[in-house]
Amino acid sequence: MEILSQLIVNSVIAGAMYALMALGFNLIYSVTRFFNLAHGVAAAAGGYAVFYLTSSLGQNVYIATAAGIVSAGFLGYGFDRLVFLRLRRRKTSSMVQLVASLGLLTSVQAVLAILFTNEFQTFPAGHTLYNVLGGAITGTQTAVVASGFFITLLLALILRHTMFGKAVNAVSDDAEVARIVGIDTDRVTGRVFFMGSAIAGIAGILTGFDTGLGPTMGMGLLLKGVIACIIGGMGNVWGGTAGSMLLGFAENFGIWKIPGQWKDAISFVILIAFLLLRPEGMIKK
Amino acid sequence: MNKLETQDLVKRFAGVAAIDGLSISIEAGRITSIIGPNGSGKSTLVNVLSGMLPIDGGLVVVDAQPPLKSIRPSKAPSYGITRTFQEVRLFEQMTVLDNVLVVLTERNLRSAFFERHRAHHLGQAEAVLTRTGLWGKRGDLAVNLSYGQRKLLEIARVLAMCATSQAGIILFDEPFAGLFPQMVKTVSSIIKELRNSGITAVLIEHNMDLIRELSDHVIVMDSGRLLAEGSAAEVLERRDVIEAYLGE
Amino acid sequence: MEYAINLAILFLIYAILGLSLNLVVGYTGLLSTAHAAFYGIGAYAAAILVTSHNVNFFMALLAGVLASALAALLIGVVLSRFAGDYYALVSLGFNVIAYSVLLNWQGLTRGPLGIPGISRPYLLGLAFSSNGPFLVLALIFLAMAYIISRFIAGSSFGRVLKAIREDEGAIQVFGYDTVRYKLAVFVISAAMAAAAGALFASYITFIDPSSFTVMESVFILAIIILGGLSNLKGSVLGAAIMVLLPEALRFAGFPASMAAELRQAVYGLSLILLMLFRPQGILGEYRL
Repeated sequence: MEILSQLIVNSVIAGAMYALMALGFNLIYSVTRFFNLAHGVAAAAGGYAVFYLTSSLGQNVYIATAAGIVSAGFLGYGFDRLVFLRLRRRKTSSMVQLVASLGLLTSVQAVLAILFTNEFQTFPAGHTLYNVLGGAITGTQTAVVASGFFITLLLALILRHTMFGKAVNAVSDDAEVARIVGIDTDRVTGRVFFMGSAIAGIAGILTGFDTGLGPTMGMGLLLKGVIACIIGGMGNVWGGTAGSMLLGFAENFGIWKIPGQWKDAISFVILIAFLLLRPEGMIKK
Repeated sequence: MNKLETQDLVKRFAGVAAIDGLSISIEAGRITSIIGPNGSGKSTLVNVLSGMLPIDGGLVVVDAQPPLKSIRPSKAPSYGITRTFQEVRLFEQMTVLDNVLVVLTERNLRSAFFERHRAHHLGQAEAVLTRTGLWGKRGDLAVNLSYGQRKLLEIARVLAMCATSQAGIILFDEPFAGLFPQMVKTVSSIIKELRNSGITAVLIEHNMDLIRELSDHVIVMDSGRLLAEGSAAEVLERRDVIEAYLGE
Repeated sequence: MEYAINLAILFLIYAILGLSLNLVVGYTGLLSTAHAAFYGIGAYAAAILVTSHNVNFFMALLAGVLASALAALLIGVVLSRFAGDYYALVSLGFNVIAYSVLLNWQGLTRGPLGIPGISRPYLLGLAFSSNGPFLVLALIFLAMAYIISRFIAGSSFGRVLKAIREDEGAIQVFGYDTVRYKLAVFVISAAMAAAAGALFASYITFIDPSSFTVMESVFILAIIILGGLSNLKGSVLGAAIMVLLPEALRFAGFPASMAAELRQAVYGLSLILLMLFRPQGILGEYRL
C-alpha cells in the first residue's frame, strides 16, 4: 500500500514536470508546425541562469528564479528572431527548421558545457519531506506539481479568453488566413516562442532544485515533453498535459517491475506504440 | 466489352460521401469522358481507381476479373490502371529523363540493382520524350520546366507505362488544363493514338469542344452519382445536365 | 606524423558513416537520426567477439554487419510507417533505446565501464597493429563503401529511391512497393555503418556507450548536410571538414580539455548556418 501511494505521488511529480516541457513545445508547434528540438536547451539555460545568479552573484533565490524564467523566454525569442523567422519567411520545409533546431540544441548545449563545465551542479535547496496520501514529497516537488497544474490552467485560460490567445488559435488554424485578417503572425509567433520557452525555463529551474543541473539535461527533458505531446495529441493544451500524466504513470509503474535505467526506453516504446495504433493521440484537436 | 466497371462505389470524407453509390461501365478501347460540376466527385473517382484513396464501399471490376473491394496503391498497374495528376506531381529534383526511366524499369528489387535492359529502357525513354517534345530537355530537372512542359512530362510518364505494357486503362485527370493551343493539339493527338492502339482512356475535362472532339462516350457525374450518359451530342443537350452545370 | 595518421583514420571512419547515411537521408529523403545506433551495434558486436570469444577481427566485423542489418530490418519495419518530421523523431527514439541497451545490458556490454583491450585486426600473417597499416585498411574500407554507394546511386534502385524522396505517393501509383525499397536501403546503410563501427572499435581499442549517442547521429547528419545531400563526394568532403575543423580551432588556442564541447559547438553552429544560408550544402544535389 505504501509503495502504491509513493508510486502515485512519483508519477504525478514526473507527469507535472513533463507537462511543463510539453506545454511550451506544443504551443510552439501549434503556430510553427515543426518539432522545435531547441526547446530543451531553453530549459537547461533557465536552470543555469538561476545557478549563475545564486552561486556566482549571490542573488536571492526568488529573484534569480524570476530572472531565470525570463532569460529562458528571451533565449527562445532569440532563436525565433535569428533563425526560425528567417526560415519561415523563405517558406522552407519543416525538416529544414527541425535540422536548424537540432543545430541550436547542440551548439547552445556545448556553450553551456564550456561556460559551466560538464560537472553536475546542484542548488542549495531545502529537502524537507512532506507526506501526501502516504507518499513522501519534497518542497521542490510540490512546486513542480503546483506549477504543472497552474500553468496548464493558466495557458488554457489565456488561449481561450484573451485577444492574444485568439490570435494564437487563428495562426495555428491557418497562418495565411490569419495574416489576411490583419494578425501580425510573426509577432504572435515571437511571443509564443517567448512564452513557451519561459515555461520550459521553469521546468529546467525546478529540475535544478530537484535533482541538479547538467548541460545535456535539456535533451532528456525535451524528449519526454515531445513524447507527452504526441501521445496526448499535438496542438492541444490539455492533450499535452494528459499525455504527460500518462507518461509519468507508465514510467513509474513500469519501473516497479523493470529496472529504473530503462525509463527512457520505456517512454519511447510507448511513443512508438501510440504512433502505430493511435497516431492522433489521446485527445484529437 | 467492359474494361472497367464500378458497382455501388462509395467514398466518404469525414462522413460526407464524395462518391455516393456510383455504378458505371467503361468500354474497352474507347475514350470515355467524365464530366460534371466542380465537387461532383470526378477527381475522387480517379484517386480511388488508382488506389490512392481507399474504397469505402462497393466494388471495382477490371477486365471482367473477380471484383475488387480494395486497390492497394502500388497494385493499380497490375490491374492495368495508370493515371495523370490534375495538379502535376513530378519527381521535381530529378531530371526529365529520370522521371521517365523510373517508370520504365522493372519493379522487383533484384532487377532494380542489376538493371539488365538499360539500353532498351533508354530507347523507350527517347521515344516517349521525343513524342512529347521533351527529348531536348532530358537533362533538366523537372522543377525547372515550364507549366506546359510539366503537363507534357506527365503524359510522357503515362506513355512510358504503356511502353512497359502495364497500362490498359489510363485515367487522364484534366490533362489540357492551362495548356497553349499547340500543346493541346499534341496531347489530344497522343490520346487518340493511344485509343487507336487499343488503350482505354478515361478523360476528365471541362472544355466542351475537346469533349465533343475526343469522346466516344460521356458520363456525367453530379454529387458523387451518375447523372446521365451517352454520346457527347446527346448528353450535352440534356436539360438536367445543363442545369447541374449551371447550378440551382 | 602519428597525429596526422590518427586524424586521417578518424576521417575515413566518418566518411564511411557519411556515405552510408547519405543513402538514407540524401537519396531517399528519410531524415534518420539513428545512424549512431547501427555504428554502435557494429562496434560492440566486433568488440565483444574479439575480446571475449577470440574471434578474428574480420569475422567479428562480418557478424557486426549482420547484427546491424538485422536490427535495421526490425527497426525499419516500424520506421517505414512514418515520413518527414515523425520519421526523424521516431528514429531518434530508436537511437535513445539503443544507447539505453548499450548502457544497461551490463551482462553483455559492461555498461558504462565500456570494453577495453580490443585487439587490432590480423589477417593471413598481416598485422594492422600500428597506425600506418591500419590507415591503409581503413582506406580500403572507404573505397569499398564508396564503390557500393556509387553503384546504388547509379542503379535503377537509386533512381526509385530518389523518386520516393520526391513523391512517394506518385511513385507508388506507378507500381512500386516503396516500403521494400526503403527497407532495403535502410538495411544496406546500417550494414555499412556497422563496418565503420567495427573499424572504430579496433582502432581505438576501447569503446563505451558515450560514442553512440543521439549527438553522434547528429554529428554524422551534420557531415552529410555540410558536404551536400545526394552527392557522394560531398559526404567525404563533409567528413574531412568536420573532423579537421575542431583541430584547427585547437591550434587557434582553444584548450584541449574542451575539445569535445568545441566540436559540438562547431557542428551545431554549422547546421544552423547551413540551414540559413546554404541548405544544399557544398556539393548537394538535393534540398531538404
